[in-house]
Amino acid sequence: MDRLIALVGLRFRLEARAISGSRGRKFGLLLALPALAFFSAATALGVFALVGLVSRTEPSLLLPALSAIATLFGLTWALSPLLAGIAATETHDLTRLLSYPVPLTTLVASSLIANLLQPTVLAQVPPLAALALALGGSRWPLAFFGLALGLLLVLAAGQTTGIALHALSRNRRIHDRVVFVGIGLGVLLSLFPILMLSRGGSAARRLVVPLLERDVFLLSPFAWGARAAVHAGRGEGLAFVGFSLAVTVALAATVGVSTVLAHRLYRGELDTGEATARGASRAPMRLPGAVGAVVEKELRVVWRDPRLKAVSLSGVIGPLLLLFLLGQGSAAGIGPAQLFSVASMAGLGVIGANSFALERQGLGLLLGFPVDRLAILVGKNLALVVLRGPVLVSLALAALVLAGPGVVPAVASLVLVTQVIGSAADNYLSILFPIAVPAAGRDPNAPIAGTRGLGAAAMGLVAMIATLVGAAPFAFLAWLPHLLAERWLWLLTLPLAIAGASAVYFMATSGAARLLERREQDLLASLRGEE
Amino acid sequence: MQESVTRPSSDGHAIVVEGLTRTFRRETAVDHVSFRVARGRFFGFLGPNGAGKSTTIRMLTGLLRPSSGDAVIEGARLSGDLLALKRRIGVLTEELPLYERLTGEEHLLFAARMHGLPATEARGRTHELLEFLSLADERGKLVVDYSQGMRKKLALACALVHGPSVLFLDEPLNGIDPVSGRVVTDLLRRLTARGVTLFFTSHVLDVVERLCDEVAVIDHGRIVAQGTLAEIRSQRALSGDASLEDVFLRLVSADVKRENLSWIG
Repeated sequence: MDRLIALVGLRFRLEARAISGSRGRKFGLLLALPALAFFSAATALGVFALVGLVSRTEPSLLLPALSAIATLFGLTWALSPLLAGIAATETHDLTRLLSYPVPLTTLVASSLIANLLQPTVLAQVPPLAALALALGGSRWPLAFFGLALGLLLVLAAGQTTGIALHALSRNRRIHDRVVFVGIGLGVLLSLFPILMLSRGGSAARRLVVPLLERDVFLLSPFAWGARAAVHAGRGEGLAFVGFSLAVTVALAATVGVSTVLAHRLYRGELDTGEATARGASRAPMRLPGAVGAVVEKELRVVWRDPRLKAVSLSGVIGPLLLLFLLGQGSAAGIGPAQLFSVASMAGLGVIGANSFALERQGLGLLLGFPVDRLAILVGKNLALVVLRGPVLVSLALAALVLAGPGVVPAVASLVLVTQVIGSAADNYLSILFPIAVPAAGRDPNAPIAGTRGLGAAAMGLVAMIATLVGAAPFAFLAWLPHLLAERWLWLLTLPLAIAGASAVYFMATSGAARLLERREQDLLASLRGEE
Repeated sequence: MQESVTRPSSDGHAIVVEGLTRTFRRETAVDHVSFRVARGRFFGFLGPNGAGKSTTIRMLTGLLRPSSGDAVIEGARLSGDLLALKRRIGVLTEELPLYERLTGEEHLLFAARMHGLPATEARGRTHELLEFLSLADERGKLVVDYSQGMRKKLALACALVHGPSVLFLDEPLNGIDPVSGRVVTDLLRRLTARGVTLFFTSHVLDVVERLCDEVAVIDHGRIVAQGTLAEIRSQRALSGDASLEDVFLRLVSADVKRENLSWIG
C-alpha cells in the first residue's frame, strides 16, 4: 500500500512540477480549470433536462440513445492515447519504474488510481450524478453505481491502450505508424461533426437512426454501465444486476489485460521486433548542388517523420473544407470565382513552417556547413512547396470537377504564386521567431526554450498580410482573363504571374539570407534557451 | 563572396585564440581564454564538467557568438567570414547533431554534398568511411535506429568527409567500442601526421595522455595550464612520474571525497 501511495504521489508531483515549470501551462491551467468546472456544471444541467425530456416523450429511445452516447464516449476516451500522440502518454510509461522491486499489478493499479483523480475525470462526476438523478429518481444511488462502473471501464480501457501503445512504440516503425494513424484519426474525428451536420443533418440521420432502431450498442461493454443505470431507475432489479455484473467482469478483464500486456511487453516476452534496414540499395542524394542536397534531405526527413508528414498532408484539408463550406452556403454551387478565392488563400498554408526550429539539433549541423545561406533557404522553400503539392493537386482536381479543365491552370498558378511569396515571407518568420519544438521522444509538455508564442502569432499574421499584399498583383493577373471573359489571355498572364512572383521571391529571400547570416548564432542560442 | 581571411600566421599556428569570452545572462562560461595551437598538433582541451570546454568549441566553430575576444582558425577569422572558417574545419560536437530520419549513408552523402564535393567523390568517400568505421552493414538503417556508438561514428565521419585541416572533436571516443576506438585513434594519429590539427576533449585522461602532444586545462571558464605534460609538471613542481590525472586533479583543485557511506562502510 505504501508503494501504491508513493507511486500515485509521484505522478501528482511530476504533473504539478511540469505545470509550475512553465508560465504558459500555469496560465493555461488557470483558464482551463474554471472552464472545465463551468462545462461540467452546464453538461450536468443539460443532461438532467434532456434525459428527463426523453424519458417523458420517447422512453423507448432512452436505452439505445444512452448506449450509443456511452459507446462514443468510451471509444473516444480509450483511443485518447492514440489521438494525443504516444509521446503525450507519459502517464502510461512504466519503463522508468520497472527497475524497482514493485509488482506490475501495483504499477498498473497506481496508474489507474492516479488517472481517477485527474481534473478531466473529476469533471465527469457532476454530469454522471445528474444523469443518475434523472434516470433513477429515488433509486439514484444504484443508477450512479452503474454509471460509475461504466466510467471505470472507460478509464481502464484508455489505460490498456496507453500501455500497449507505449510498449509497442519501442519499435520505431510501429511508433511512426501509430503516430500517423493517430493524427489521421484525429483529423477525421474533427471533420466528422461538420460532415454529419451538412445538408441540415441528413447524413447524421441516415447513419444514426438505423443503429438506434436496432439497438446495436447493446453489444458494447462501454454501454453496459449506462444500461444498468437505466434499469436501476426503472426498478428492473434483475437487468440492473446483470449489466452491473457484466461491466464489472469487463472492467476486471481490462485491468487483467493491462497487467498481462505490461508484463509481456515490458519484460521483452512479446518481441516487437527490430526496425529492419531499408533503402540500402537506393542511390540517395541525386539532386545536384547544395540546394538539391537540402531539398532531398528535407523531403526524406519530412516524409519519414509521421508528425511532419501529417502536418504536410493535413494542409490539403483546409482548402477543401473551405470549398465544401462555400458550396454549402451557396445555392448556385461552386464557380470559378470561389475556386480562385480559395486558391489565393491556399498558398498561405506555407506560413508557419517553422523550418529552422523543426531541425532541432540538426540546425547546428546545417548551419555548420560552408554553404551560402540563400541556397539553404531556397532548398528548404522548394521542399516545402513540393510537400504542399497535394494542396495544389487537390484544388486543381476540384477545379476540374467543378468548373471544367479551362480554369485548372489559373487555379494551380494562384496556389503556386501565394505559396512562393508565402515561403519568402515565412523565411523571416522562421529566422526571427522560431518556435522551439521538443526533441523526438521527449515530453511534449515540458517547458521549451526559445518559445515566443505571442510574438510568433502576431508575426504570423503580419506575414500572411504581407503575402496577400505581395501576391495581389500576380493574383490579379491570374484573375484578369476570367473577369474579362477572355480565357486565351491566360496564355500571357499566367507565365507573367509566376515569373513576377518568382522575382519577388528571390528579392525577399536574398534579404532573408543576409538576415540569417547575421543572426544564425543568435538563432542557435535562442533554440538552446541561451538567450 | 569576399573571404575576410588573414594571411596564415607565419609562426605556423593553426588556432590562435585571443581573449575569448562568453557570458550567458549573468554567468561567465568562458572568461578571456587565450591559447595557440601549432599546425599538425594533437591538442587536448581538458576540464571538469561545466568548465567551458563545449562552449569554447561552439565559439571556435562559429556556432556561438563570443561576447568578446576573437580567434583565427587556419587564417580565417571568427569575427570575419564564418563560411570561410567552416570550409576549413570539421566538427564533432557533444550533442551529435544528426538527422534521425536519414539513413547513415544518406546522411554522410548529404554532409559531403553540403561541403561541395562532386557527386562521384562524395559517393566514394562515403563508401570508404562507412567501411572504415564498420558502418557499412548499417548504411541503410535510419539514424534513429543507430546505437549511441554508431551515431558517434557517423558524426565523426561527417566531420571528416571533406578533409578538413582542423578537427574539433568533443568527446569523440565516448560510447565507442574498444575495437572502433582503436581504429579511430589510429586514424586521428595518421591525420596529425599529415598536418591536420586536432582539437580534442575527453574525460578519459589516459587516452589524452597517450594521444595528445599538448594540453590546455580549463576550469571555471579560465585556462589554468597549457603546454606539454612535462612542461605542466615542471610548472606545478610535480614529480616526473605524475600522471595526467594527478596533474589534472591538482590543477582543477578537485576535492575527491574520501569519506565512506554509513551503510556501506
